[in-house]
Amino acid sequence: MESLDDVIDAMIADRVIHRHRRKWLIAIALVVVLALVILATGGWKERVGRTVPTISAPATVESGKWEYNFTKAEIRVTPKSEYREAEAELRVYFDLKNIDGEELTSDSLQGKLLVFVPGGGQDYVDSNGANCRGELNWVLVYGLPPESCFTTFKVEADFRSDLVEIGVQGERYESDSGVLGADEDPYWQNERPDAVVQMKPAVVEVTEDDK
Amino acid sequence: MKLYRPATVMVGVLFVLLGGLTRLATPEQVFEEQNMVAVRGTIGESLKYGGDSTVTVTRMKFAKGVLDDSGNDDDKPIETNGVYVAIEWDTVRGIQKPSNVGAKLIADGGTVYEPIGGLTDSGIDFPEAGFAKTGAVVFEANPTDLKGLTLQLRPSMFYNVLNTYVEVDLGIPSEEVAQQLVDGAEAQYVVQNPVVRVASS
Repeated sequence: MESLDDVIDAMIADRVIHRHRRKWLIAIALVVVLALVILATGGWKERVGRTVPTISAPATVESGKWEYNFTKAEIRVTPKSEYREAEAELRVYFDLKNIDGEELTSDSLQGKLLVFVPGGGQDYVDSNGANCRGELNWVLVYGLPPESCFTTFKVEADFRSDLVEIGVQGERYESDSGVLGADEDPYWQNERPDAVVQMKPAVVEVTEDDK
Repeated sequence: MKLYRPATVMVGVLFVLLGGLTRLATPEQVFEEQNMVAVRGTIGESLKYGGDSTVTVTRMKFAKGVLDDSGNDDDKPIETNGVYVAIEWDTVRGIQKPSNVGAKLIADGGTVYEPIGGLTDSGIDFPEAGFAKTGAVVFEANPTDLKGLTLQLRPSMFYNVLNTYVEVDLGIPSEEVAQQLVDGAEAQYVVQNPVVRVASS
């Protein structure tokens, strides 16, 4: 049997909820607006500057299982001809050595490990992998001396620059967590920035035959 | 309610012991890897791979440069600071389709050599059922780590099936033999187009 007290309590609760409903609605709306404002102004994350060393070429960088020795950079320009648009590419030359002391395994350089950093908040440009001995994605053997290689970045046809920055990303020899049943053997993964190399590119005009 | 009666505790202990027993009985104790059985052999031996197919290593060649047979006439051979090891193989496919072959060379020093890129004719695979195929796969290797070189052919596989992999001893028992082979390396090795023929049984 419902007592009078219960009934009164329910009535009071009803009043209280009604009295404060507008405040609740305003509070929720404020939270939503705040979230939108934070999103619009670039997110909650604090912007930090570059945390890896910046070095100028010629430079030797050890990163993950690769040792690079950056030598020079070229902006290779193909002029506009009757049948094709003008094109340009950024080519970076380096000596590459496989120093994979963990797995001692031959491998080719992944394109995403070298990035062109255009600056000014623009997205990074991935390379197309190492071209050594005239073959793209050449497989480098652990224990052999460095090979001279180059890599290519796609750039706009009118791209000119006095100083280009190339980001070097290094993989880490790590294992996945076995909590969810993954294999716990480590392997090369989780690439993260290790260095930025600054180079002064020369502008080279190439004809169709040189490509 | 009494939670920890002696019988309850005994059942718990029993489960723990049973768990230990099943661990003892895992195939790890029988095979080197839980889901893989090795088929070992030497050059010239025909070895079972993936059911009823076979693979034979017919010849091993050392060279200082390699060239595609199907390339242009004016192609230059690809040079190396090390040495190229070309493995010539012969595969016969049975009725069951074998999975793709991942080939690598493993030396005693621990170095693992993968096939080189840049050659279209280099590789190892199986023809259609009832046919046999001959071809070559080329590796770049470090001349100072060739002792005990073995060719390993691993299937790309499902982990819940018991698979076989092939290990071929390439007959380099010592550094001296390796040095002789490196010294006797040809100037260039031409990778022939793979040839398919009807399997003669």
